[in-house]
Amino acid sequence: MTVAIAPLEAPRSRILRLAAAGVTPVLAVVLAIIVGGFVVLASGSNPITAYQQMLVGAVGSPFDISETFISSIPLILAAYAVSFAFRCGLFNIGAEGQLYMGAIASTWVATTLSDWPGLPLIIACIVAAMAAGGAWAGIAGWLKAKTGAHEVITTMMLSYVAIDISHWLLEAGPMTPANAFGTPESGPIPPTAAFPVIVPSWILPNARLNASLFLTILAGLVFAWILWRTPLGYEIRAVGFNAKAAAYGGINVARRLVIAMVIAGAFAGLAGMVPVWTQMRLYDSFSPGYGYEAIAVALVGKNSAIGIFLAGLLYGAMIHGSVAMQANANISGFLVQILQALVLFFVGAEMLIRWMLKRGGLRAIAEASA
Amino acid sequence: MDLVNLFVTVFTRPDLWAGTLRFAAPLTLAALGGVISERSGVVNIAMEGMMLVGAFFAVLVAAATHDIVLATLASVVCGGLIATFHGVASIHLRANQIVSGMAINLLALGLTSFLMFRFYATSGTPSDIPALPDINIPVVNSIPFVGAVIGDQNIIVWVAILAVPATWFFLFRTRLGLRIRAVGEHPRAADTLGVSVFQIRYLCVILSGLLSGLGGAYLALSVAHSFSDNMTSGAGFIALAAMIFGKWHPVGAFLACLLFGFGQSLGINLQGTGFPDQLVAATPYVLTVVALAGFVGRATAPAADGVPYEVGE
Repeated sequence: MTVAIAPLEAPRSRILRLAAAGVTPVLAVVLAIIVGGFVVLASGSNPITAYQQMLVGAVGSPFDISETFISSIPLILAAYAVSFAFRCGLFNIGAEGQLYMGAIASTWVATTLSDWPGLPLIIACIVAAMAAGGAWAGIAGWLKAKTGAHEVITTMMLSYVAIDISHWLLEAGPMTPANAFGTPESGPIPPTAAFPVIVPSWILPNARLNASLFLTILAGLVFAWILWRTPLGYEIRAVGFNAKAAAYGGINVARRLVIAMVIAGAFAGLAGMVPVWTQMRLYDSFSPGYGYEAIAVALVGKNSAIGIFLAGLLYGAMIHGSVAMQANANISGFLVQILQALVLFFVGAEMLIRWMLKRGGLRAIAEASA
Repeated sequence: MDLVNLFVTVFTRPDLWAGTLRFAAPLTLAALGGVISERSGVVNIAMEGMMLVGAFFAVLVAAATHDIVLATLASVVCGGLIATFHGVASIHLRANQIVSGMAINLLALGLTSFLMFRFYATSGTPSDIPALPDINIPVVNSIPFVGAVIGDQNIIVWVAILAVPATWFFLFRTRLGLRIRAVGEHPRAADTLGVSVFQIRYLCVILSGLLSGLGGAYLALSVAHSFSDNMTSGAGFIALAAMIFGKWHPVGAFLACLLFGFGQSLGINLQGTGFPDQLVAATPYVLTVVALAGFVGRATAPAADGVPYEVGE
């Protein structure tokens, strides 16, 4: 009996697995919207108006769609940084600092080598961003491998250090432009170093979405390729799955930890460069917490390249949509943070969702997602 | 030589040491809560959010009632309430506790900022709210240096200091403490002996919420005397670091909090001495990394920390 069923079982369970992988985040979003609606209601506003304004604000016009992508890109790249380390069993909660180092290094290269021609300059900036982010994360990886220092603390502490360094550089250090006043900021990124805008001007004359979107897609492909198609990725996942077993299998665990952190940091470094290249200047405190929200994006995206991309778009849409919602419906844009938290909470509490699926007669999907 | 003089001046300044205690107090409360929660096997990275909730509701109730006791009580209760969410997710729903903890942090940030906008939109919180009292110790107060350091500290500083031996005694010298540690190390064995793993874990998670909430009340009603968005700005994460740094032990965690408090206080006392403020501000964080790598070595969490417990058949 079982033998006869077996060949049928494989493809069906694959579809089920796919459905199961998607169903938790989608249901989590639905639940979050419902609970968030009650929060709005309790605060004396109309949830329908709130969500309507948010949706229109996020995707209501070509310009808003382009801006939603701009909000999403740093989140997606930083989430790759969180996830890549996570695949090696490391909890990188310091993407924020790695992202600052990437922003600082790429800005520094762009402003000092401003007489270089375009393409080499852009490449130099990208390399600088990735190297700086990688090195900063690498410190935590190296300390973990050498001394066992817990990466949750070291990455977090190094984040604060990186942010303080950026304050110093921009407020009272070598990157402060002469006769600066107002918001501390670096000198301008030379136009030759800019990423080309990818939305044709006949569609949208004032679009800001640039080629960093392609870079983000490329980063996702590289993320998946390293993890699933190379021996290094296999070893990194082996260490993440069971470090002791990996060591018995002859994998140099310490070295893999360091490499995983360096690669993770490189993604974060890139995440830091992109917003600077959108504003064409490095502003003091330029990140609204990309590195921290990225942790949520990585978790909602289930640590997969495509999942993170979609989760990042969702979070980016909520962030951009909240601007219009706060302005037009007079409801605090922080509703977005509540929604993001609820999504994360329901993704975490998968048991609740599995229970709901069983109740709803979707037992097969519920079991495949277990 | 100038540098030596500067350091002698700064280090003999009572402000530096009084500030160390002031900054360490809220961290200590949160870190002790973390120790209790993780000793029972529930990873708690949500102290940041619990403190923030405590801070907001302390100010809200203080503004509404002008009663400092009610305000403090509200912060403690709300800290405990949000901790209960973490408890339900990680104990009953067997969620990943790091995911749940991050969700609590985000939720607290969103909720407090959302309510802040709703109640105080642009004007900020009212300035006529009551403050947590300082304790003036008559005799000690007149001793030179010592008096300036501990003679006139806030009540919560003393609560935090006393909470350290109290937590130690609770965890290591009481029956309940033994059960908590048993549940955190080997829940199956504890369950077999008739200890309710779920009850113990709920108790510990909620206790950590109460303590973090009190830490938040102190930040709002004594240090800042107001609430502003994200006002804890990482204090809960530093408390988390202190807990791991202190190897999940109350005394170790307290010492780590003192180190962080010292770093923060040093930053303030070095202001205007020629060092760039921004780099001085990074001192506690660099100190932590160096200390962690150099002196502490591998820290081992309780064996069942972060592992959801399934009631056996």
